[in-house]
Amino acid sequence: MIIRGVFSMSIINRLKFLFKGENDKEVTDITNDVSNTSDDVQATSSKKVNDSIVSGTKTTAPISSSVKNDSEEDSNDLTFKKDLESLDDEKDSSEEIVKEDTPSETTTKEEVPKEDKLSEDDKEVKQKLNNKERDKMTLLTDKEILNDSNRDPDFTAEFIDAGIETVKHCFQCGTCSGGCPSGRRTPYKVRQIVRKCLLGLKEEVISDDALWMCTTCYTCQERCLRSVKIVEIIKKARNIAAHAGYMAKPHKMTGVFVMNTGHAVPINDDVKALRSKIGLPEVPPTTHANPDALAEVQKLCKITAFDELIGYDEATGGLKE
Amino acid sequence: MEIAYFLGCIMNNRYPGVEKATRKLFEALDIELKDMEGASCCPAPGVFGSFDEETWATVAARNLTIAEDMGADIMTECNGCFGSLFECNHMLKENGEKRDKINANLSEIGREFKGTTNVKHFAQILRDDVGFEKLASLIEQPLDLNVAVHYGCHFLKPTDEIGIEDDAENPAILDDLVEITGAKSVDYKDKMMCCGAGGGLRARDLDVTTSFTKEKLDHMTAAGVDAIVNVCPFCHMQFDQGQTEVNERYGTDFALPVFHLAQLYGLAMGLSAEDLTFDAQKIDATPAIEKALGKNAK
Repeated sequence: MIIRGVFSMSIINRLKFLFKGENDKEVTDITNDVSNTSDDVQATSSKKVNDSIVSGTKTTAPISSSVKNDSEEDSNDLTFKKDLESLDDEKDSSEEIVKEDTPSETTTKEEVPKEDKLSEDDKEVKQKLNNKERDKMTLLTDKEILNDSNRDPDFTAEFIDAGIETVKHCFQCGTCSGGCPSGRRTPYKVRQIVRKCLLGLKEEVISDDALWMCTTCYTCQERCLRSVKIVEIIKKARNIAAHAGYMAKPHKMTGVFVMNTGHAVPINDDVKALRSKIGLPEVPPTTHANPDALAEVQKLCKITAFDELIGYDEATGGLKE
Repeated sequence: MEIAYFLGCIMNNRYPGVEKATRKLFEALDIELKDMEGASCCPAPGVFGSFDEETWATVAARNLTIAEDMGADIMTECNGCFGSLFECNHMLKENGEKRDKINANLSEIGREFKGTTNVKHFAQILRDDVGFEKLASLIEQPLDLNVAVHYGCHFLKPTDEIGIEDDAENPAILDDLVEITGAKSVDYKDKMMCCGAGGGLRARDLDVTTSFTKEKLDHMTAAGVDAIVNVCPFCHMQFDQGQTEVNERYGTDFALPVFHLAQLYGLAMGLSAEDLTFDAQKIDATPAIEKALGKNAK
């Protein structure tokens, strides 16, 4: 929430905010917040609860009444455009308030020393901004203050226990989202999901359809400055979601095909004819041609309880219900 | 040289011309492709890997044990299969705890993962084991064709595990392999972008998937190519079947025929369009094939 406060300002105000120094208690809070995060995760992995992150945010940033809710944002494919618009709005209003002190966006270093005199004005600006619609790019919304009851430390620990310790290394630079082809057209925000996983916001992560908009193309992971195993994080979050019952029917059906044939894309009569025509065996030498091999695959899927996970009905060879 | 030939699902069960071309190519190269009897779905990395890692790794490891029993390295010509099998092999070789867990499952069907096979991609074998010179000697009909190369995602990436020598953001391996056939690889905008099918997205949300594909098709068409070349049957399906879905949804008239790299080599080695099962693909490849072979027409 503190970080959100900074990012939601116009560039000018952000600079002012950062250069103001002692007046600004929140700058120090940011540092605390970031360092607390990694401490916190170490604690969660050892099953201790550390309340530093979220309770720290409680003391700042009043709740805004005019925040547009997330679902509205998520339903809009053009969130980037909306973000730009809201940034523009903020710029306009802050320029209005600060008036002659900010003639243009290009704040120069010479202007910085004047900032001390502006601290009263700045408070006003901040107050205004706090009551305004916020930047949609951060994960914390003002409609509700997060506290420990929103967090599930065991959720974060699951990633670490699965060997994805790099989830802790993320410093939220956004390179992942910047290169993400899915993020350009869907509400999928990979940076935000990584942050939520680190904070332990389990329900928000696993109940969000956008989690399934990743094609696992690895662009984010290849470009990550901190070598975070981002695709592993997404797949792990999906595993947890699937086991919590968030699994789409077409995905369950893919599982059904494997249970029934050993193949996610089984053969059909047209392709059998086509194979014969070009001199290949009508049926390839896979589980399709080997019932014992298919039985092995089916047995393995039962041992791992995959059949139960997808709700496979052995009697009908389809889904239960 | 012997290689355990992993078929997967989409290649053999949808585009058998790819399998035909591959068998012909490796026969000419004097490399024996041995069938992996009873192999199953890899299973798909972004799909089964997204549902349950243990099931994914167990089924993938079973496939690996088939090649181990044959005493051969695995070749696959699907990025998805490559991703799953390589990643699982790598994981079980590196992580003793996971290996024990998966082996406990495999012991129930009398199998054991030993870590004695390597997983290789078709294109990787062509470049690194066969070599450009030998490949060039097999070309009977140099192809006059401008193509858009699509690398796909689970081929060179994640680079810290895969280890195929190339630059994942600006690679050359496929362009080099394409140009040996005489075809020209034409650069296009956002060349490394995903086709949109992976990660379970095609099954889950076809609108989003086709939106990816349309963007790729826009950029490929703008570059003026005659065809698309890929090394992944799932990308292949997405550009072929998916192209008709793009046209339905967007009212466009894209008509870029889709070649798996094996089919391109098959054509250059004299196989017919029927042998390569182009007649069963959604997008008509006849104009591109006629152009490709036109140079040699008397």
